[in-house]
Amino acid sequence: MVLDSNSLKYMKERIGVYICHCGGNISDYVDVEELGKMFHKEENVIISKDVMFACADSNQKDMVKDIQENNLDAIVVCSCSPKLHLHTFKNVASRAGLNPSNYVQVNIREQCSWPHSDRPREATVKAAGLIRAGINRVSFSESLENIELSVKKTALVVGAGVAGMKAAIELAKSGNEVYLLEKDYFVGGRIAQKDSLFMSGQKGKDIVASLYEEIRKQPNITLFTGATIEKVSGSLGNFHIDIKVKPRFINGKADKQAVKRAMEECPVSVDDAFNMGLTKRKAIYKNYPEALPDVPVVEAGLLKDETDFVAKFASTLNMNEQDETLSFIVGSVLITTGFDNYQPKEGEFGYKTIDNVVTLPELNRLIELCPEKLVYKGKQIKTVAFIYCVGSRQKKGDNKYCSRQCCTSTIHTSLQLKEKYEKIQTYHVYRDIRTYGKQEILYAQSSKQGDLYFKYEDKELPLVELDGKSTILKVKDYLTSKQELEIEADLVVLVTGMVPREDSTHISELFKIPIGRDKFFNEIHPKLKPVETVIKGVYIGGTCQGPKNVSESVQSSLAGASKITALLKSGTVSVDPIIARVNADACTWCGKCAEVCDYTAIKEVEVDGKRIAAVNTAVCTGCGMCAPVCPVNAIEIAQYTDHEIESMIDGFMQEVQIREKEVNPEEVQEEGKVGMKEYPQVWKEILAGMTEEKNTIPQIIANSKIAGELVTFHLMTMNRYGVVVPAGMDAKEEYFYYKKK
Amino acid sequence: MSRVNPEFATELKKYGASDFSACFNCGNCTATCALSTTDSSFPREMIRYSTLGLEDEIKASLKPWQCYYCGECSSECPRQAEPGELMMSLRRWLTAKYDWTGLSGLMYKSLPASITAFVLTFIGVLAFAFQSDFDLEHMMHVGHLFESIAIASIMVVIFVPNIIRMWYFTILEPKTKVSFKNYVSSIGEFFVTMFVQKRSLDCEDNRFRWFEHFILVLGYLSLLFTTVFMDWFSSQYTFVIVFGYVVSAIVFVVTIDFVNSRMKKKKVMNQHSQPSDWFFVIWLFLMGLTAFMTRLFIDLDILEMNKWLYILHFTILVQWALIIVPFGKWTHFLYRSFAMYFAKLKEVSK
Ligand SMILES: Cc1cc2nc3c(=O)[nH]c(=O)nc-3n(C[C@H](O)[C@H](O)[C@H](O)COP(=O)(O)OP(=O)(O)OC[C@H]3O[C@@H](n4cnc5c(N)ncnc54)[C@H](O)[C@@H]3O)c2cc1C
Ligand code: SF4
Ligand code: SF4
Ligand code: SF4
Ligand code: SF4
Ligand code: SF4
Repeated sequence: MVLDSNSLKYMKERIGVYICHCGGNISDYVDVEELGKMFHKEENVIISKDVMFACADSNQKDMVKDIQENNLDAIVVCSCSPKLHLHTFKNVASRAGLNPSNYVQVNIREQCSWPHSDRPREATVKAAGLIRAGINRVSFSESLENIELSVKKTALVVGAGVAGMKAAIELAKSGNEVYLLEKDYFVGGRIAQKDSLFMSGQKGKDIVASLYEEIRKQPNITLFTGATIEKVSGSLGNFHIDIKVKPRFINGKADKQAVKRAMEECPVSVDDAFNMGLTKRKAIYKNYPEALPDVPVVEAGLLKDETDFVAKFASTLNMNEQDETLSFIVGSVLITTGFDNYQPKEGEFGYKTIDNVVTLPELNRLIELCPEKLVYKGKQIKTVAFIYCVGSRQKKGDNKYCSRQCCTSTIHTSLQLKEKYEKIQTYHVYRDIRTYGKQEILYAQSSKQGDLYFKYEDKELPLVELDGKSTILKVKDYLTSKQELEIEADLVVLVTGMVPREDSTHISELFKIPIGRDKFFNEIHPKLKPVETVIKGVYIGGTCQGPKNVSESVQSSLAGASKITALLKSGTVSVDPIIARVNADACTWCGKCAEVCDYTAIKEVEVDGKRIAAVNTAVCTGCGMCAPVCPVNAIEIAQYTDHEIESMIDGFMQEVQIREKEVNPEEVQEEGKVGMKEYPQVWKEILAGMTEEKNTIPQIIANSKIAGELVTFHLMTMNRYGVVVPAGMDAKEEYFYYKKK
Repeated sequence: MSRVNPEFATELKKYGASDFSACFNCGNCTATCALSTTDSSFPREMIRYSTLGLEDEIKASLKPWQCYYCGECSSECPRQAEPGELMMSLRRWLTAKYDWTGLSGLMYKSLPASITAFVLTFIGVLAFAFQSDFDLEHMMHVGHLFESIAIASIMVVIFVPNIIRMWYFTILEPKTKVSFKNYVSSIGEFFVTMFVQKRSLDCEDNRFRWFEHFILVLGYLSLLFTTVFMDWFSSQYTFVIVFGYVVSAIVFVVTIDFVNSRMKKKKVMNQHSQPSDWFFVIWLFLMGLTAFMTRLFIDLDILEMNKWLYILHFTILVQWALIIVPFGKWTHFLYRSFAMYFAKLKEVSK
């Protein structure tokens, strides 16, 4: 590498290097003592030492002392993954008065000692290369300050289902301004379609009404219905959101009675989607009479030819209303767009091909619509057969996951059926019953009341067939020695699972949140970052993340709400200074970098009459897409400058001379074999127990008097390390022989 | 292919089964049952058939008879489905199915029907007493005659056809091919079961009950023998007289303990007594006691003054012979013995 005078000016000259034993995790395989001695001779390295535990308090104190006493200007710690201790040692630097950007961590555990434990010498050589790369890099490091961003204490919640509504209320109560966006004209999401919810037995509508009431009471929640997101730009603290709000075509000042009359007299009727086609609705409609907000909607397209009707209600309807576009800035976003119901394919268990086959959501609507007798297509229903796991846990299809709530939901529905209509017999054809936690009580209750359960396996699916007028379900029942059984049912209900919203890819593209293998939105880590996405400031909650029941949906959306509150609380956030920067002299504004930037962080600006690229520090994520495309090398990423990267490559490629340890020949032989300085004591005992030329495990156990499970376990490891090898089976073909290698 | 029939559960509940619908097929009951084997596993399978209403499978099965109601399974069941009680109810149901007259079913299901039968027999005995002018000697003569005739006719009219039906349901209909040789060579199983009930010994904690049962069976059969064939009430032989005393005492003393444990409900098998169970133990007790007393009164020469005692004994005897033996719990003793025999036949014919 050729260095110009400019870069030489930054060069660090007083570097400290610390190489960690990590107990033995590293030093068992990597010769850290030798490395410590080796780098002592390196140019610009003032201190180089091996330490037992770099992260130990005592060592941290020593490091602070070293830095201050020796006036070090950069440090390198060679230990474990930066994921574990990057911040530990950055803090050490800070405490010693050194800018934390002048610190580099080299990972010689996960990258050297652990994966190459079978070749200790090579592991040591690789570690030497990585350490030299680290030293080179740190010598070009600059002192950088974190970027303080001011953030708006405003949150956007996308989707006003139970998860979104509850989170919006919580966010507002914690002092945030909230925009709550709902695609539909009415709030509540899927639970509004359920008459009775497990475990509480509450009506979905009642929950929706009480949440809506609370939202109304919160002055800092702005609810948009019929609203979709059009565009998103900006980033954490300052997301710029454009939304489109569709009109209701109802005159805001119209008299309520007149609106009611218009609804009644409306001449057009279509299938009611809310009731899944079980009923018809008018072109002026509400999802259900108590739906909120309490203003109906006009499906304008349906009234195109009804000029007389429209003329009659001219003062009530406002057919000229237009879509409205609004923009606002929010500090953070919570996505709670929920799920879709799995739609069975035509013919899947007779769906759409046999008259009395419906899905569970359809049955739930039917129950609500039938107050006294359960009637479907004019026929009273006395027997209901449920087929579980339809569209979930597919061996062949895409949906490998379990939809989690459907077992309980079905059983709850079965209890509801018996309670609401007397004398209904239900049959449950399941794969496994997953009524975890308290939900198990419902399962016990259901069996006690005489509901019958049958178990099928994916490889032998039940068949739904017509037999004259009746519908027959044929099941190979695993609980009755796989006997084939026939069940006659008035209604066959497919227990359909949850799938991602149809438009979830659109949301994922807008916010750049990743989609998992199950096609639901993906969190960073299921246990440790369960509601965070890889996009800073964007969180997910409820069923848009994966199947959940209501409590679980609300738990996760409330977790998202608390994360957002914590994030926006102080009005500023401090972000890493690792972002792009433009060399104004070199830039010729060709626009190439702006083109590749996914985050639209680069804008054209004019500086002293020259048009150049400028990076929005709040938006840039430091992804690095821009740097390689610049034809004149005018844009670079802080801490990943060309100097730093090239010097690392140079350092790694440099030849390493490692002095062979002076050890007696026996030990070398062993070391070569095992990759350890010494066998563990128990290995020695096991080897001592191998008295014959070849021995079976019971023989070794008897000879060495070591517990059987220990012997088995260690023999496996010893085999891997080439200390012993299997040598065929004994005469009775009961055990393997082992012999020393 | 069998059609599922949930109505069957309601029918079976009339025979005493209560909570078996709660079963979720975990199989704990089968695992704990000391009598269940890999070749003949129960009670879970019987519960399954019962919940699904697979009557044909149940009718063809001998497994209910292989259970001795130790109650282990019921204590282990995580769903309190009372599998042991279900097995008991299946035995009652099967008894009703084997019985061509249909009277067993009627009496199991309806307490009023049983009571009516008892009352009618009582009236019959009274009418007979009036007709014979309360002539003790005549009554005792007829009583003795009645015993032999009743035994013979119930055997021919009820038991033989019923056993043939049982054989038809369990052997012939399921198409088990049994050679004549096997019929002969397996007969031992029948007698061993009848007298010794040796399988129940396999149940843990059951030794004492087994012993009681064994003694009771011996006592009962001996009493039958002494009264019918040795004409105990009229006998002059000291040996016969003393022997009669001993066996009748055995019968009523041992039954006291049986009644007692049914009342205390300490053991699982005693927690769900049905009327048929009560009738059985109480009438057995009364039989032993009244027989004992009758002979005692004869020996003390006071029976002539206490004719009511003999009329009571005769009533008990008639009710026992005409109701409990052919249509009540007594038949279990017979069917179980045949069931073991048939099971053996099935086993050797595999
Ligand atoms: C058949 C069935 C029965 C069930 N029964 C029960 C039960 O008894 N008890 C129980 O606890 N759970 C039950 N569940 C689960 C329960 O329905 C869900 O947990 C709950 O509805 C999830 O709420 P959510 O807010 O995450 O999603 P949703 O209810 O789906 O709400 C999402 C909202 O976001 C809106 N939205 C979607 N996309 C956008 C967009 N791009 N822009 C703006 N808005 C958007 C939607 O219109 C909707 O209003 C059942 C589920 C099913 C399928
Ligand atoms: S919850 Fe039950 S029905 Fe739903 S997918 Fe899972 S196992 Fe199947
Ligand atoms: S690619 Fe380079 S030259 Fe072109 S606008 Fe960006 S920084 Fe300037
Ligand atoms: S590093 Fe470059 S490409 Fe990436 S966000 Fe920043 S400006 Fe855009
Ligand atoms: S232990 Fe109970 S729940 Fe389990 S299989 Fe037996 S009866 Fe059924
Ligand atoms: S009661 Fe006893 S013998 Fe009968 S099935 Fe249960 S465990 Fe077996």
